[in-house]
Amino acid sequence: MMNDIPPKARSPFSEAFEMFRRNHAAVIGLVMLTFIIGIAIFGPMIYPGDPFEMVWIPFTPPGQEGYLMGTDYLGRDLLSMLIHGAKVSLTVGISAAIVTVTIGITVGALAGFYRGWVEEVLMRLTEFFQVLPTLLFSMVIVALFGATLPMITLAIGLVSWPAVARITRAEFMRIRELEYVTAARAGGVKNARLIFSVILPNALPPIIVQAALMVGSAILFEAGLSFLGLTDPNVASWGQIIGSNREYILDASYTVTVPGVAIFVTVLAISLVGDGLNDALNPKLRQR
Amino acid sequence: MTAPLLDVKNLSVRFPVKRRWGRQSWLYAVDDVSFEVQRGETLAIVGESGSGKTTAALGVARLVANSGGTVDLGGEDFLSLEPEALRQARAKVQVIFQDPYSSLNPRLRAEAIVREPMDSIGTLPGAQRPARVAELFEQVGLRPEQMKLFPHQFSGGQRQRIGIARALATNPELIICDEAVSALDVAVQAQILNLLRRLQRELGLTYLFISHDLGVVQHMSDHIAVMYMGKIVEYADRLSLFNDPRHPYTKALLSAVPSVDRKRKVERLLIPGDPPDPLDPPPGCRFASRCPFVEDACRAAQPPLEPVAAAHTVACIKAGH
Amino acid sequence: MKEPLLKIENLRIELALRGGQTPVIDDLSLELNAGETLSFVGESGCGKSMTALAIMGLLPEGVGSVASGRILFDGRDMARMNDTELRAIRGNEISMIFQEPMTSLNPVYTVGEQIAEVLRRHKGMNKAQAWSRATELLDAVRIPNAKSRVGDYPHQMSGGQRQRVMIAIALACSPKILIADEPTTALDVTVQAQIFDLLRDLGRETGTAIILITHDMGAVAEMADRMVVMYAGRKAEDGPVRTVIDHPRHPYTKGLISCVPHLLAELTEARPDLTEVPGIVPSLASFGDDACLFASRCDMADEQCRTSRPPEVGFGGQNSACWKANQL
Repeated sequence: MMNDIPPKARSPFSEAFEMFRRNHAAVIGLVMLTFIIGIAIFGPMIYPGDPFEMVWIPFTPPGQEGYLMGTDYLGRDLLSMLIHGAKVSLTVGISAAIVTVTIGITVGALAGFYRGWVEEVLMRLTEFFQVLPTLLFSMVIVALFGATLPMITLAIGLVSWPAVARITRAEFMRIRELEYVTAARAGGVKNARLIFSVILPNALPPIIVQAALMVGSAILFEAGLSFLGLTDPNVASWGQIIGSNREYILDASYTVTVPGVAIFVTVLAISLVGDGLNDALNPKLRQR
Repeated sequence: MTAPLLDVKNLSVRFPVKRRWGRQSWLYAVDDVSFEVQRGETLAIVGESGSGKTTAALGVARLVANSGGTVDLGGEDFLSLEPEALRQARAKVQVIFQDPYSSLNPRLRAEAIVREPMDSIGTLPGAQRPARVAELFEQVGLRPEQMKLFPHQFSGGQRQRIGIARALATNPELIICDEAVSALDVAVQAQILNLLRRLQRELGLTYLFISHDLGVVQHMSDHIAVMYMGKIVEYADRLSLFNDPRHPYTKALLSAVPSVDRKRKVERLLIPGDPPDPLDPPPGCRFASRCPFVEDACRAAQPPLEPVAAAHTVACIKAGH
Repeated sequence: MKEPLLKIENLRIELALRGGQTPVIDDLSLELNAGETLSFVGESGCGKSMTALAIMGLLPEGVGSVASGRILFDGRDMARMNDTELRAIRGNEISMIFQEPMTSLNPVYTVGEQIAEVLRRHKGMNKAQAWSRATELLDAVRIPNAKSRVGDYPHQMSGGQRQRVMIAIALACSPKILIADEPTTALDVTVQAQIFDLLRDLGRETGTAIILITHDMGAVAEMADRMVVMYAGRKAEDGPVRTVIDHPRHPYTKGLISCVPHLLAELTEARPDLTEVPGIVPSLASFGDDACLFASRCDMADEQCRTSRPPEVGFGGQNSACWKANQL
């Protein structure tokens, strides 16, 4: 009587994964990103050594004397600094994205669900943080609380969350009008559960995309701060390499371009993955 | 005469509309509406868009905020319950929604969707719930291996069956069917209507059936309330309404429905134009601007619902003729 | 006998899907005579809208294409025309109105401008002539105060009025064929009655042939002269409306008519269950099978039905694609 139904359940997640898989650019991005993450985790084990150790003559060009990336103005091994820097940049990127998403989702969800004066207050708060000049604000935080990685992460998170809050709020406003939310209310579901278990999982797709792209922009932001010297001098991040070598850009350009390319490739990989996530997750959105 | 299961009196639902600076206007989507349903029967509320029928149903279920009236459900006033008592009382009133594509949470498996009301209200001990879900699936004509699938893997009709199973989960007494078959193809619609009637017979359910489709209403209902612009204009039992409609709007509505039955020679009563602005309803009968039988007296004051025959009331000063 | 205005011969439209080319319309043949109203009936997914889009050359690009067959309009094969030739016909000799009046009109142009645009493009009128003709057309579709409404924007009009504007645009160039794809499904039933009335009157006055695509058998009974019943991309049955409704010769048609609760002339207490057509429409992947696609839902089906596609058999003016047609 009933026509054949596939007995295998396919969740929206596995369907999205399928779509992602077929997107070649996204898969390439993911491969690149995995490689970079691999370097960040396993690099220091394969290529041990203190990145701050002065190992050879300064400004040794890449490929000479067994130093694949050469040495910088202090004679430090660039390759070692790159490998250790990978971990720093990715850690800051991911942590900042987590801070951003946590604050953003909380504010956006409450504003989008409750509306009324709650929404008014939270939206004014959002606008306040949105209009803050990002660089100056981060500099203030760093100046007040010290230039440590946690503080930098916090600073980046504080200026980036409004974007996530806006997306979350828009999604909540859209979804709460859908019939399955009314059905849940008719079934006696409490507000807290409505927000976290019913609406939020369905609001995630655009938030996930934004979070992924946020990792990339956080890395760039941190690089910018490091370039300006507003970073922990004991930590070798890519931006710091560029910053400390910036006077030598004409004489020994590789000291600046090599870490620059590293940042570029990482952020590119993240963008490709982010775009792939967008295409994979959003067609489902349209069907709803 | 036994007490009705559902007794709604003077229900009003209004929405705030900001007009100019400071001046607050209200849109009365449902304006002082009263009706009742006997246990085991079906009351249909019929109307076109803007009539307020869906809002009235949601108001009864307290899924929109009401601004007046009482809803007596089996002895207690549903509208005045405190939040926690309300949550528990929701077990008695469930809703089947119109759109099979947006009424199911796309991220939950079918069995989780059906379980949700039981988990929230706690009508059954946790250990017994899986068996109940399986039983419900069978009752609505779905197979057990479909329990683990996600909504997008089902057809529209099957999704509606999941919605019905969910509505039955807490053993409700009253089920509100809000255009429950309007979004389905006719062949599937017939299956679902037959299912709804079978469930009503087997489980002794009472239906509040909202619809714009008069053919379906004729098939499903025992009593009908016709709504126009927030008010009930005619309220009768099935045979009375369809064989002897009295309100000009009801007559126009019935005559407008095309039918394959050649014996049904109904002269088309065309009503011109569109309903007046709901934000600024006229002082008299709201149908006056489009009524083919209008006279001056109609515009003066709103006609009350008056009986014209057994179990048949009409809000029209010319209905007696 | 006069040549039909539109003749579709063995049309096959394929959709490029992941699994390959799948037929969404399979071997469809039908005729439309000048001035008559033909109705395509069927449930969603049966291909009735696709057929209309194919006639207009509006199949989704890169996805749907005419694989074989001919669409003969006035002797010319529309399936083989290029875009320029089709654009000269669209809106001019063959027009189409759609289901959603909310989204079929461009919200940033006035209704007058949208009607005038068609007149300027196909009839070469200048701005003043087009505007005055637009006002006349609004009047012809029974919009009160046409002169003052012609400068309104779509959002200032109700759903029923917007659909009338669509009809005005469609009929502006006096087309030979008007295709109406579920024109009243999104409208209230009282408005639906107005629109059907209008279409009937205008069709009679202008002699335009109308193809009415719908799922509502009642509408077919009221509006159409002949009907084509479609199922899973194939024609199940066709013939004069009264003949098919009174004596359907395909189990699907029979089921479609009897499963709907129609308003009866004289209502009684009796309320038998509706006749059910069990099961659901087969998936797109099986549309090309050499079998009767309705077999799994048919209580008359046998081995022959399941293993070979039924040919069309004729009964006077009525045709049915069913192995058991003569038993009905």
